[in-house]
Amino acid sequence: MDMLLQFIANGLVSGAFYALSALGLTLIFGLMRVVNFAHGELYMLGGVMGWLATTVLGLNFFAGLALTLAVMGACGWLVDRFLIERVRDQGEEPSILLTIGLSIFLTNTALLLVGTAPLTIEGPLPNKPVFLGPVVLTELRVFAVAACAVLILAAHLVIRHTRLGRAMRATFQDPMAARLAGINTARVYASTFALGTMLAASAGMLLGSIYSTHVSAGGLVSLKAFVVVILGGMGSFAGAIVGGLLLGLAEALWGGYISTGTVDIIGFIIVILTLIFKPYGLFSTQVERA
Amino acid sequence: MKFERNTLLALGLIALAFPLLVGNQYLLHIGIMVLLYAMLATSLNLIVGYVGEFSLGHTAFLGLGAYSAALLSLRLGLPAWATIPLAGVISALFGVLIGAITLRLRGPYFVIITLAFAEVLRLIANNWVDFTNGPMGLSGVAQPALLADASPLMAKRFYFYLALALTAVSLYLAYRFVYSNNGRAAVTVRENRFVAQSVGIRPFVYAMRAFVLGAFLAGLAGGFYAHYITFVGANVFGFAFMVSMIIMVLIGGKGTLIGPLLGALLVTLLTEYLRELQELRLSLFGLIVMAVVLFLPNGLMGFLNQRRERNHSDQADNGATGVQGGPA
Repeated sequence: MDMLLQFIANGLVSGAFYALSALGLTLIFGLMRVVNFAHGELYMLGGVMGWLATTVLGLNFFAGLALTLAVMGACGWLVDRFLIERVRDQGEEPSILLTIGLSIFLTNTALLLVGTAPLTIEGPLPNKPVFLGPVVLTELRVFAVAACAVLILAAHLVIRHTRLGRAMRATFQDPMAARLAGINTARVYASTFALGTMLAASAGMLLGSIYSTHVSAGGLVSLKAFVVVILGGMGSFAGAIVGGLLLGLAEALWGGYISTGTVDIIGFIIVILTLIFKPYGLFSTQVERA
Repeated sequence: MKFERNTLLALGLIALAFPLLVGNQYLLHIGIMVLLYAMLATSLNLIVGYVGEFSLGHTAFLGLGAYSAALLSLRLGLPAWATIPLAGVISALFGVLIGAITLRLRGPYFVIITLAFAEVLRLIANNWVDFTNGPMGLSGVAQPALLADASPLMAKRFYFYLALALTAVSLYLAYRFVYSNNGRAAVTVRENRFVAQSVGIRPFVYAMRAFVLGAFLAGLAGGFYAHYITFVGANVFGFAFMVSMIIMVLIGGKGTLIGPLLGALLVTLLTEYLRELQELRLSLFGLIVMAVVLFLPNGLMGFLNQRRERNHSDQADNGATGVQGGPA
């Protein structure tokens, strides 16, 4: 029984990260109809940038996070303006191929520049255990989950309560009408892509401070983000959060009670089952099916 | 149609003569890899080019074929002439199963679910140690008995002709499929699903046929791979093979029969040429994929076909103006 609570706690911790990394993907898909296959690589770049900022430049964790967010936001903006922009309104396939190409390029270029060694990011708190009843966590993990929650809340506030957020929601509802109302949709798209990239990069840096990050992590992260987004419903904010927590829990329980070697399989089984039985996902915001 | 057929026959003749002119094992090996990838690219092209859906999980069928051939050969002692066709059949059976689930979905959902299937199979191959020998893989897949006391050069020549025969079978089947009512219906579905449905074409049925044929051909290629390399590990399900296949189909031009062959030839040679620059090579591949999507969306064959059509129409215009009083 004690173990069950521990598994649940571990599952919720990793679930928070899945939610944060999936949020960027679901935003980009929901608004831009772009399925970003390079999402995991942007997450990975966040980890690598965080490592560069804290270890090589010697910044503290928070300054490093701010720098990472700024740089990755700019990267996201540029990717949209120079790549995605060119295949906008050409349907889904060109953007899928384009982002697959981008992910291959980013992974292997990072591999070339940084190497395969795991990169550890110095966290802001020591790795001291915290006892919550029968459950043991570390201070760093509690901090990271709190940081995830803050970032998710911040993204929510940006979308709900800023001028940019209003423009985003308008574009999401009807791009043509938004343009007629004087919204510069090209800028909205680029901002959305930048926001999604920043969310992925922050997840990469936070998780890099708990475990360690390495440059070939991107592929698996992309896949898990897709699992979460499909489970929660493409384009749904709440769905990404619930889906992320569910995936984290499912993996922790599977790893605890069945087998640790095949943990990654559970996500794919979830995808296959969701797409067969509930293709809209749990929380789809619009009537749209696969 | 005639152009494609004649080009394919000419390429086949060149390939027939190749091992007789070349006595170098390394070059023969490259030739064999070109043929292997030609098979794989042709089979993926049936799905990408004729179903019009983008599969990221085509390695599932390559891997199923390779593992089937290896297991049949190692556990049951079947000879290669039986295991390779059986590999194709087993792969096709899985194609029916996977296709029945995945082909209900379209666009990004199809991409992700096919990828999920390939990943599930990879994880199973890596973890089911009793059956697949896990990460150690299956080594020592038997070579055909014929080669017991052949010289290495003769063995390479034998494999080259075996690969050529399989490629020819693959292309023949693909050709027959593409230029049949099946293929034309599939193209209609690809071009406009609703028009196709309105004239009584059921998209699912035709997509399924193309998908299963693609799975069969990839399984054949996998079976050949198992016997040629004599080792099968979970990497046959991996993303590296998938990336190569995608690039070949895209560069060559999807939806044409010659395109994937051209792609297989170009990419395999380029890979060999850049062998010393391992990681840089993959970075370059990433850039190539992006460049092709942006600048050459229909691949080399699409580009050439466009040129050819423009020339034809130019000539037709010239002919029309040459005849006095002809229809304008």
